Amino acid sequence: MERRKFIQSILTASAVAMVATPNQLMAEEAKKEAKAEAKTDTPALKGPNDLTLEEAIKVITGGKEVKKSDKIKLTVPEIAENGAVVPVKVLVNHPMTEKESVKAIHVLNTANGNTRCVDVLLTLANVEAYFATRIKLSQTQEVMALVELSDGTFINTAKSVKVTIGGCG
Amino acid sequence: MRKLLLPLALMLTVATAGEQFAMSDADKKMYEEMQENNPADIFVDAGSEELEDNLGGEEALQNFLNVSEKELPKYIAGFPRYITKLDNVVGIDQVLQAMQVEQGKKRTSLNEEPITIMSAYVKSLANDELVNIDINENKEMKASYDLGKIIYEKVRGKRGLSCKSCHSKAVKGLSLRTQTLPRFGEAGTGATWPAYRMTKSKMRTIQQRFQGCMEDSIHTVLPLGSKEMVALEVYITNESKNEKKIIAIPGLKR
Amino acid sequence: MAEKRKAMVKIKPKKFKVGDTVKVDFIVIHPMDTGMAKDKETGKIIEAHYIDNITFSFDGKPFTTMKVWESVSTNPYFSIKYKVTGKGKITVDYTDNKGEKNSKSKKVKPKA
Repeated sequence: MERRKFIQSILTASAVAMVATPNQLMAEEAKKEAKAEAKTDTPALKGPNDLTLEEAIKVITGGKEVKKSDKIKLTVPEIAENGAVVPVKVLVNHPMTEKESVKAIHVLNTANGNTRCVDVLLTLANVEAYFATRIKLSQTQEVMALVELSDGTFINTAKSVKVTIGGCG
Repeated sequence: MRKLLLPLALMLTVATAGEQFAMSDADKKMYEEMQENNPADIFVDAGSEELEDNLGGEEALQNFLNVSEKELPKYIAGFPRYITKLDNVVGIDQVLQAMQVEQGKKRTSLNEEPITIMSAYVKSLANDELVNIDINENKEMKASYDLGKIIYEKVRGKRGLSCKSCHSKAVKGLSLRTQTLPRFGEAGTGATWPAYRMTKSKMRTIQQRFQGCMEDSIHTVLPLGSKEMVALEVYITNESKNEKKIIAIPGLKR
Repeated sequence: MAEKRKAMVKIKPKKFKVGDTVKVDFIVIHPMDTGMAKDKETGKIIEAHYIDNITFSFDGKPFTTMKVWESVSTNPYFSIKYKVTGKGKITVDYTDNKGEKNSKSKKVKPKA
């Protein structure tokens, strides 16, 4: 008797209805709609990172010229399985010596409300101009690696990431 | 008639979407690399602390299950199991909850973080073991497996779908709105949950994941720890056993 | 006093010598809220709460600093390379936009 009570007190009741009743269905549909609304209805808040790509680049470079360069190896997925966690890897094929080095790697996106992602200031102790992180992408857009070299020049490269929404659950 | 057409239409969408959006090998590699730095590792550590501080650690777990330290990993690799003490087939999460009750501690719901992270830690003790759930161990396990198979194949809900409708070889491209639909055995589902869900930024157990899928396929959501939900977990975990999957907790999922 | 945040500092590979270049990985549990999302239940804006600065140091000497913005994922991950100069400790100090200060260290134990 005691044992049965003990067990009953622990375990959850078994699922009674395996087929949804009309009321339950409607309630679930309504809940889904409310969820969808809450997601799309974002407010227009302008913070210090709410810049266009051009503005963000200008802030970082001070208006200097930026040259596209294939020295920068930017690795991002072609298709991001989800927009919440998008892996980004940057490796600059450039010396890291007293004479010449990579000063900074800046990661930016083109369509989030927050354009700048990370600014990494390297030193010679890093030995390699390497940086990896994971960013949020609100929609399909480009990710840019903007690199500052020790001689004061800037180079960059960008890649498009297809952000998928959907799936189930 | 309408009920028949819906699944067909869905099948077509699923079939055509799949090939265009199949993950490239380079992309797959990036996602695999992420496993090495899984935020879940931090939660699993926290689960270990939680178990130690509040329930007496692995020793208390061994005592509750009546299993030696040496036997524990392989024993954990066999969950969900029939536990005589509880006279039911249960998951690791329910064992932890039972320990809370037995020790007179506050009982946390199966949906709350303490149970989820402790479940992840406990299952990680079986890492590198083969999934070895035994559906023929006793009549209770057999009954649970049979029930799980029925639920997996049962067409229910507004869309006229069963789990099998989408998660089977019959579905070409195996992708639903660009997301991969795992075939549970091959994907090692039974071996890689609890996992960190990137879209939720949280640890989730397999049953919690089932609930998400049920919501989206417009099925009545089965309660965590219910006989039916455990049965479904038994069925799905057994698929991974058939594919000789090795336990690797915590997983990293979309 | 800032709440104790959970974080991890990892060095890869596990075995290395003085002079080797290793990978330093840092993961931290942090919401990284952008301040643009609404709470699904209350409908109110979730305040921006994100890590904004990180400093990696070896035995107190900084070797990499980062300025971090809202677009980084929740429970973020950061990875850089570092040349091992000897036995010591790598410390990651990080702050967030709400003024929280935290730190996580990892001992550096080269084989030779």
